[in-house]
Amino acid sequence: MTDLEYLSLSKPAKIGYDFLSFLKRIPLGIAHGTKNLVLNTGRFFKTLWNEIVDVVMTFVNGDWITRLSFLVMGFGNCMRKQPLRGILFFVFQTVFNLYMFTFGMPYLAKFATLGDVPTTKKGRVTVYGDNSFFILLYGILTIFFVLAFIYTWRVNVKQNKLGQQYLKEGRKFKGAREDLRSIADEQFHKTLLALPTLGIFTFTVLPIIFMILVAFTNFDYEHQPPSKLFTWVGWQNFSTLLSSGGANYGDTFRQVLFWTLMWAFFATFLNYFLGMLVAIMINKKGIRLKKMWRTILVMTIAIPQFVSLLYVSKMFAADGLINGTLMRWGWISSPIPFWTNAAWARFTVILINLWIGIPYLMLIATGILMNIPADLYESARMDGANAIQMYMKITLPYMLFVTGPYLLTSFIGNINNFNVIFLLSQGKPLSLELAGNAGYTDLLITWLYKMTVSDTNYKIAAVIGILVFIITVVINLVVYNLMPSVKNEEDFQ
Amino acid sequence: MKKFFAVLLAAMMMVSMLSFASAEGFSGEVKVWVAEAVVDFTNQQVEAFKAANPDYANMTVTVQAVGEGDAASNMITDVEGGADIFGFAQDQLARLVAAGALEVVEESNAAVVEKENDAGSVAAVKMGDVMYAYPMTSDNGYFLYYDKSVVTDPTNLEAILADCEKAGKNFYFEINSGWYQTAFFFGAGATLTYDSDEEGNLVGINCTYNSEEGLKALKSMIKVAKSPAFMNGSSASNATNIGAIVDGTWDANVLMDMLGENFAATKLPTVDGYQLGGFGGFKMLGVKPQVDEAKLAACDALAAFLTSGDVQLARYNVAQWGPSNLAAQQDPAVQENEALAALAAQLAFTMPQGQYPGEYWSLATALGDDIIADKLDNATDEELMDVLKNFAETAATYIK
Repeated sequence: MTDLEYLSLSKPAKIGYDFLSFLKRIPLGIAHGTKNLVLNTGRFFKTLWNEIVDVVMTFVNGDWITRLSFLVMGFGNCMRKQPLRGILFFVFQTVFNLYMFTFGMPYLAKFATLGDVPTTKKGRVTVYGDNSFFILLYGILTIFFVLAFIYTWRVNVKQNKLGQQYLKEGRKFKGAREDLRSIADEQFHKTLLALPTLGIFTFTVLPIIFMILVAFTNFDYEHQPPSKLFTWVGWQNFSTLLSSGGANYGDTFRQVLFWTLMWAFFATFLNYFLGMLVAIMINKKGIRLKKMWRTILVMTIAIPQFVSLLYVSKMFAADGLINGTLMRWGWISSPIPFWTNAAWARFTVILINLWIGIPYLMLIATGILMNIPADLYESARMDGANAIQMYMKITLPYMLFVTGPYLLTSFIGNINNFNVIFLLSQGKPLSLELAGNAGYTDLLITWLYKMTVSDTNYKIAAVIGILVFIITVVINLVVYNLMPSVKNEEDFQ
Repeated sequence: MKKFFAVLLAAMMMVSMLSFASAEGFSGEVKVWVAEAVVDFTNQQVEAFKAANPDYANMTVTVQAVGEGDAASNMITDVEGGADIFGFAQDQLARLVAAGALEVVEESNAAVVEKENDAGSVAAVKMGDVMYAYPMTSDNGYFLYYDKSVVTDPTNLEAILADCEKAGKNFYFEINSGWYQTAFFFGAGATLTYDSDEEGNLVGINCTYNSEEGLKALKSMIKVAKSPAFMNGSSASNATNIGAIVDGTWDANVLMDMLGENFAATKLPTVDGYQLGGFGGFKMLGVKPQVDEAKLAACDALAAFLTSGDVQLARYNVAQWGPSNLAAQQDPAVQENEALAALAAQLAFTMPQGQYPGEYWSLATALGDDIIADKLDNATDEELMDVLKNFAETAATYIK
């Protein structure tokens, strides 16, 4: 299809065309990805091979200093007038050796089994055996340390090769002073980023890898360190959660996933359109007391959700304010099952979420609406467009263009909207038809919370965590690529 | 340099002597978790304990407020970081034992516990034949509180519901709780118990829910839940319109304030011609496994002291926790308490709560939620029987 043909399509047809071409691109994308993967793997092994050859050649061609440096890191640098580098290499090697022999080795050695010495009793005194938790955690840490060591060792070897080369060519070495100047100057980015990188590694990367690995173990209430051991079980937890047999985890997972997506959809788009509507109404010329309306709405933001949501959930209880009032007025004869009937409970959480979500959207929309050039509306009016046409042709496209990324993040945010669900319904009502303590308003994230906090079922919780990640990533990538703000970046500039 | 080493050596010797000197008693730290209501009380009793036991006078005891439910969860999540002595309700015992968070009660202490406490509480602290905790209270059961001006006949549930409907008041019963639900099932004659071995594993189940009696109980529950006066819940402070409520001693003060002169408490009523039963429950104090013998001895002694008859009675006087100690139960102050009297009257119809797997409680909640959501309202007997059969089968999958 040519550009001209595409432009002549109607709006829905364009979206349909975009979507179809996106679908068509998927197999291509997969093929492309696989090809890249194969190429990159090949490249990786080639690089690795080259590195190994280089190391061997360095040893073969090296003098005695270089050869000794293979064992004592930094020796070459020290001998070739670069004492600072040499000392740093040597210190690193010493620290690494100390770490490995006093701490790392025992954990690494048991990493394959996660410990095999059970806890025993000596009289009435407890003698703790292996702690699988620490073996897993410090095992990962040690593996990373070993990788860092191999890298540093490789740098050390390369330095020796260069050193020999420089000596042969009679070039000057960089002294300690120049090195120091360099990390404050052309290598300043490394200096600045060293600490943040270390922080991110310890507080983000390490825990994430730990949690991913837990999904492949049987870490639950029956295998609880320090008194019990846990061990690797492969893909078993994934098949428990995804298959439909067994303890029925599979059906429950699909049910919870379905509701999670449904909730995210309604919570995002209802809030979005109603919030925009409210903003448009307040912005309208001739509406008086604009500031007051906005203040009233913003009040819900001012009160912490922990307070307001708990209170509102009580209001909707069977003997709460709302049911009580309706019954006193004689509108209903028995309480409406706001929290006890699955469909009602789902409806109620979406409804209450509107109450807390609309004010935010109203604020955002107010700002953007004021930004739309007034001349667009003026000329539209001259051409005889009515309010709905103007909304569909000017306001909505503009809003969607500007808030597209926001919509996407809030959709993802709603998939993980723990607060609202947990404070309002705690995932209830439960049912005999659902397994694993899940309820009809449980999102994946609240189900995960219940599993870790009240059921100590870490293995399944870790699997859910991984699946939530995959789901959000897929949605993010698909939607992001379809978004007008990304595709037609210049439209409104 | 030599001087430095000399000082260091001297310091080391002093440290080793100090630790040697304290080997007889114990002078380290002991962390205690109890419910907020009894933190001050426990602190006083710890001082009394130190005064009575000079060996432990130098021990540092930190008493922290951690509710019974949280204490169990926290201990299970992190045994090493948890308290050395902690209070919990008995439904957590199996979980705690399975997680290796409880040390077996020392033999001589166990003999004393066995002799001085009521039979139900002694059974509740045991897994198989092994005693894992010290009973502290025998008041974790439920009975009926009602408003005298609303309920005319508290012995019959149908009458109570009719009175409440007439007065526009509510009858509160937490039908979606595995703990309260048993009032119907056990009352009708069905049972559900688990057999446990000594390591905290549940090895057998005795469930007769899928029987005529179970069916009778389920139908009563559905009938009660259908009444416009029925309200699911058991927390007096969350209830707004009480005609009658099935609740425990912990809410006695709230209800006395709420109902004033019309406050009354009695055993549970009958429904469909049978007496409602239920669980008798207990709170207990546990000691976590220790790697240091002296500390273990200190913890044993302190836990035994904090659950002794005198301290239980003192605790009743301060916080109205009904004692499990037989002598303390005979005390006039305890005997006069209206709520505890109602609990005692109900006791004849209850069975001591044994060990249940964590999943049982959510299974029971699921059944209760289905009843409240009216899913079973129009079910035939056969369909109800299927529900019970399914319940019993699922409950049986929790044993190992």
